[in-house]
Amino acid sequence: VIDAATSALDIAARVRGGKIRARDVVAGALERIAQRDAALNAFTSVLRERALSDAETLDRRLAAGQDPGPLAGVPFAAKNLFDIAGLSTLAGSKINADNPPAVRDATAVARLRAAGAVLIGALNMDEYAYGFSTENTHYGPTRNPHDPSRMAGGSSGGSASAVAGGLVPLGLGTDTNGSIRVPAALCGTFGLKPTFGRVSRSGVVPLAWSFDHVGPFARHVADLAAAFDAIAGPDPLDPVCSTRPAVRCTEQLGRGVQGLRIALLGGHFTRLAADEVLAAVGRVASALNATREVTLPEVHRARAAAQVITACEAGAYHLDRLRSRARDFDPMTRDRLLAATLVPAAAYVSAQRFRAWFRTRAAEIFRDTDVVLAPTVPWTAPTIGAPWTTRIGATEVLTRGHLGAFTQPLSFIGLPVLSVPIVAPGALPVGVQLIAAPFNEAALFRVAAWLEAEGVVRSPVA
Amino acid sequence: VERLGSDVGLTIAPESRAAVAQHLTALLAAARLIDEFPIPDAEPAPHFEP
Repeated sequence: VIDAATSALDIAARVRGGKIRARDVVAGALERIAQRDAALNAFTSVLRERALSDAETLDRRLAAGQDPGPLAGVPFAAKNLFDIAGLSTLAGSKINADNPPAVRDATAVARLRAAGAVLIGALNMDEYAYGFSTENTHYGPTRNPHDPSRMAGGSSGGSASAVAGGLVPLGLGTDTNGSIRVPAALCGTFGLKPTFGRVSRSGVVPLAWSFDHVGPFARHVADLAAAFDAIAGPDPLDPVCSTRPAVRCTEQLGRGVQGLRIALLGGHFTRLAADEVLAAVGRVASALNATREVTLPEVHRARAAAQVITACEAGAYHLDRLRSRARDFDPMTRDRLLAATLVPAAAYVSAQRFRAWFRTRAAEIFRDTDVVLAPTVPWTAPTIGAPWTTRIGATEVLTRGHLGAFTQPLSFIGLPVLSVPIVAPGALPVGVQLIAAPFNEAALFRVAAWLEAEGVVRSPVA
Repeated sequence: VERLGSDVGLTIAPESRAAVAQHLTALLAAARLIDEFPIPDAEPAPHFEP
């Protein structure tokens, strides 16, 4: 029986083995969405007829002896920031609903489909990906399957909620300052932000060109690796996509952690976080026997630089829309984007210079370290509509902005990061970031697979 | 905020001005944090290989 807890690779094995039809798998996913999505609000479009038709085509190909791919019959969904042929790419906005339908799928969507996965629909997000909460005014808030009164996180909140709730086993999201890792941690799923340039962004609406990334969500490490293997690699349609061949991570999963040099990221990454979050990092470190601490300098300035670059690039990208349709923006994003257009150019250039310096400091860590550990989020999921600021100890921070305190300084310099979920019984999930040198996703998958096999991390259906 | 907005062709609605000013203040504080740090030998131009 295929149910909400069945892994993507288990589904694919059974479809490929002729034990179940892809059409039945897809019909099951559509049924789960019909039952639960009214409560979660993860989907903004469900492509029922198209998904069933695609699944039937796949079943016919199998019957004819063709190989439909390693993800045969696996249902997946994509953040509505991705182009999906025939749909207007909402990017979480009301304005983009007026755009003509996309004429082709984004590269990552097309590659998952080429691997046999079946696209089920498009998922909710913060407007234009500029937020950490998916409290979208136009399409409603996406809810956390572990507690529907709480945020799913953002901006890829629909992707995390749909995967955590067992509606689909795979999701696609994007991450500029933490938009895959933050919702993955708050909803208790695995989420990968690959190295900058490792996965094509072609057909994805930008937030900040300098560090927009595409990546997958899953509830099993092997599923995450299979999805990553399907989407990673060069793409001439994305000018910053690397031309170096991708290392297949599925083949790394059984290698264990022997020989990997693992350390804890100290300083900034141990402050202004809840006790249960720091305890989760400690549990992962203890399991890995990681005791050495490494530090990155000036992390608070790295966050500031990430904020300035994101604001300036997003402000520039949306300037025409802000001139002509400011009132149609989500109030959660409009005033921040308006402010972003007013930042002096010198601030942007200084932030880019700082980024170059900070990237070199991070590279120094990876001369003698393979993987470093840090919390993903500073606390568990806040309630939807939570006050604008929160007090942590004696310090008042932005409730939503602070969710990116530990993710922002890392995506800012393009490092690959895999967030693993810690879901204790009766508690809300938190996440731990596994961080490696550029293009060393293989090390992250080795560690994540080992932690999952040891029962240290897991992602149960919520 | 009203004048700066007008300089880049934006009309910032009166009800938005206080919030925009607050966000701009935060961004300028972030910019100041970077300016206060002397960055040695950092090249901001993208790597270019013809």
